[in-house]
Amino acid sequence: MLGVDRRAVQNFDWVLSGLTLALVAIGIGNLISAAHGSDEVLLSPEVRRQLASLGVGCLALLVTVSIDYRHLERFAILIYLATVALVASTLIFAPVTRGSQSWLVFGSLSVQPAEFAKIGLVLAMARFLHRNPPEEVRDLRALLVPFLIVAVPVLLIILQRDKGVALLTLLIGSTYLPFLYIPFRIWAATFAAGLAGLPALWFYALEPYQRGRILDFVDPSRDPLASGYQAIQSRIAVGAGGVTGSGYMEGTQTQLNFLPTRHTDFAFSVLAEEWGFLGGSLVLALFLALLLWGLYIARNSKDSFGAFIAVGVVGTLFWPAVINVAMVLGLAPVIGVPLPFLSYGGSALVVAMIGVGLLLNVSMRRYVF
Amino acid sequence: MNHRLRVADSAAFERQLGLAAFVIVLAFGIFLIRLFQLQIIQGDALRARSERNSIRTIRLAAPRGEILDREGRVLATTRPAFGLQVIPSELRRPDLVYAALGQLIEQDPAALRERSGEPRGARRFQPVRLASDLTWDHLARVESHRYALPGVLTDIQPRRHYLQGPLAAHALGTIGEIRKEQLETRRFARYRAGEVIGQSGMESVLESHLRGREGGLNVVVDAAGREIERLDEVEPEAGRTAVLTLDLDLQQEAYAAFESDASGEPRRVGALVALDPRDGEVLAWVSTPSYDPNDFAGGIDSATWKRLTQDERRPLQDRVIAGQYPPASTYKAIVAAAALQEGVIDPNERLYCPGSFRLGRRSYRCWKRGGHGDVDLREALVRSCDVYFYQVGLRLGVDRLAFFARGLGLGRRTGVELPGEQAGHVPTSAWKSRRFGEPWVLGETLSAAIGQGFNTATPLQLAVAFAAIANGGGLVTPRLVRNLHARDALSLPSGSVHRERVPVDAKHLARVREALVGVVQDTGGTGARARVTGVAVGGKTGTAQIVGLEQIEGLEDDEIPWKYRDHGWFVAFAPAEQPEIVVAVLVEHGGGGGAVAAPIAQRVLARYFEKRAPTIARAREAGSDAGR
Repeated sequence: MLGVDRRAVQNFDWVLSGLTLALVAIGIGNLISAAHGSDEVLLSPEVRRQLASLGVGCLALLVTVSIDYRHLERFAILIYLATVALVASTLIFAPVTRGSQSWLVFGSLSVQPAEFAKIGLVLAMARFLHRNPPEEVRDLRALLVPFLIVAVPVLLIILQRDKGVALLTLLIGSTYLPFLYIPFRIWAATFAAGLAGLPALWFYALEPYQRGRILDFVDPSRDPLASGYQAIQSRIAVGAGGVTGSGYMEGTQTQLNFLPTRHTDFAFSVLAEEWGFLGGSLVLALFLALLLWGLYIARNSKDSFGAFIAVGVVGTLFWPAVINVAMVLGLAPVIGVPLPFLSYGGSALVVAMIGVGLLLNVSMRRYVF
Repeated sequence: MNHRLRVADSAAFERQLGLAAFVIVLAFGIFLIRLFQLQIIQGDALRARSERNSIRTIRLAAPRGEILDREGRVLATTRPAFGLQVIPSELRRPDLVYAALGQLIEQDPAALRERSGEPRGARRFQPVRLASDLTWDHLARVESHRYALPGVLTDIQPRRHYLQGPLAAHALGTIGEIRKEQLETRRFARYRAGEVIGQSGMESVLESHLRGREGGLNVVVDAAGREIERLDEVEPEAGRTAVLTLDLDLQQEAYAAFESDASGEPRRVGALVALDPRDGEVLAWVSTPSYDPNDFAGGIDSATWKRLTQDERRPLQDRVIAGQYPPASTYKAIVAAAALQEGVIDPNERLYCPGSFRLGRRSYRCWKRGGHGDVDLREALVRSCDVYFYQVGLRLGVDRLAFFARGLGLGRRTGVELPGEQAGHVPTSAWKSRRFGEPWVLGETLSAAIGQGFNTATPLQLAVAFAAIANGGGLVTPRLVRNLHARDALSLPSGSVHRERVPVDAKHLARVREALVGVVQDTGGTGARARVTGVAVGGKTGTAQIVGLEQIEGLEDDEIPWKYRDHGWFVAFAPAEQPEIVVAVLVEHGGGGGAVAAPIAQRVLARYFEKRAPTIARAREAGSDAGR
């Protein structure tokens, strides 16, 4: 079961590896600048922690690649349940930090189980769709299992009071919606129900600060010094980058501390300011290529389990990237979602590497039969 | 192996993948266009701005609320202070800039340079403050040369200003930068590092009212730091005004009375507190030596700080609440009230004072060596006879005495708003065996009965105890805040004025009061120097010994070293018929209370009644019977 088949090695996916390597390298380089403090240490503690996480991520990638993904099918439910249990355990063990219970702390190590739940979610959904080949849905009961697979972790994350991550998990689950062949009238009904539920969502589900962020997005000058501030400063930072950027470590907007959380949520605006349109569009192109390559892997997969794993992994990378970049560019309200590979955060990086590992796994075994 | 389905063969799956690819391409296409729009279309303007100009967020500090006296006179306000800053990254020729600045503001260029240091990394973009309170002339000179000094900024910051300087320093308190450990507490959860907060006195008590709300603005500035355009602005909101119960006139009189008297005596060290016995409102609050709270307003310099902390007379200590002294003979008023309530003495019973009292093998002296002869309760208080109270003390016993002393507010905090209050001490036999593992001895009861030995009290506690005697038995909580208002005059609900009733009946308190009036008004009374023309004053002197009488035997007063001299007390109330003011005075190492403390109380009382002429007219009629 362990070990890599010779044919698999021959079919090593150089495109995917290259794209990943480029994004990881850019991410670390950008973090060095973004997390550069006022002291003269080149590698701030954040950078050192991120490098350590990268090491763990590479290890996790190698392990993921070396197990034939078709064996994973048997463990999919187990992995799913384990990750969900991990999320549930935060409600008991995790300390409340900044109002939410998202982090399990082991000494100096802290882990964000919600990140790992994405992998469990993808494997469970892929297994379900593989076992129940999609056909026209006639009975809503057929949707109960996929609904539960997504709803359980989402609800648990809502209980952690981490609504940004809950939304993200919901979106990742929704990646599979087009593959369930849900008839148009159900779509229409769901849409109507959602629209009707929007006011209730606005008043009961959102915290006042979250409502504020959405209002700030509609009208950033509403509170230019508080929550609208980040959005404005991010746009100025990106714009100040121009074509070629202000140069590495020279971004005045970012180095001047205008941008809060610049090494986490606003990492892309640091990159855009310092590397300009050239750097920004390069990173966007790398992401685009990676995501399309993921779909290409899904298309060429020998079986539907592999195909749906690939689709899911594309979803786990696509949604945070879209939300984050839209926020940085002032196209979406400020939601605290990290950009894969670029934002500081160990759990997210490890999970992204596991995702790439799954893609590589499916890709390398497309001729193995 | 599971070969159920090759999804890729399914046309439907292909179609859905195509849809996904389309969504992805669409999203990233939009991003690319947006990036192009921000960085290339709008970017031209923004980039030009980022090279030669920059956007700065300027915090606009909220002016701190004013503190007024009870008649609306300003005690603490906020004035503009002109500051000077440089941004190291924008200095073209630092040496020349510092030399020029040194000349303009008449300071040593090397010192200015040292103040800015040599910041590296991101810190070189941050403004460094070189001066925070420039004179108008210096500011004008810098401003007129600003065109030649890129990277030099001037600003206006609100600055706390205490109009009366050291006059009411301990009551008003000081402001200062928030400390690291304060930032971590819940109370300051919404503060930033570097903010200035009330650190002591009413400034600290009223912090949340005085603070106001910080504003800010984003401005585009050119390379010389000149404002080109204002982007967003949020006006700061001024803090609320606080009206204190203090009366500036009495405060001034009290402070001046400590400064020196007509004979040019050196400055007195001590404390004075005046309050209204009816509701506990504090009218004057003085602790000397004092300090100038203005020294703290812009961050205190180390030389001043060192001088204040190393002065052996401890100017920073608020003696009104933190100075604990033996109450000495002022305590006799409380012993008398306790004895009457317990019925251990008949007010007309006469006890003989031969000048000393023998207990076991020891002899305890009365302060008057010749003795007072046969004295009743009234005469014993008027002439402050120790021997009389030794005997009353023995009849009461230390624990019953302690019960009444606590009942009148001694040995526990008064609950005044100001922080740092000490509780003083009222000894009991149980306390002594717990503390020292030794039983209480009768000789110590004698000390306790004249307020010596283990007894200590703060000036404020004695003021509160005498207020209870004066108002017929209500223990007041002293307070300094009259009302708090923003633009509209919003008064605080005053709440209950009396904390509790003291355990002594009003008729006994009336008898004590009558005797205390004798202390001041009778011929031969120890408090004669507190007399105020036209007003009947009551009070009690006290002289707290620092060392045994034997050690200074035979020395003239001015031959005794300062630190061995007695503490002098005087606690007064007036007018006798319906007291409106209680004044407690303590003079450290000043000598006898009747000689040094009573005249200080007298000045404050005289000033009070001078202001209340109609009351004096009434008092004069009554006063003609009561005494001289």
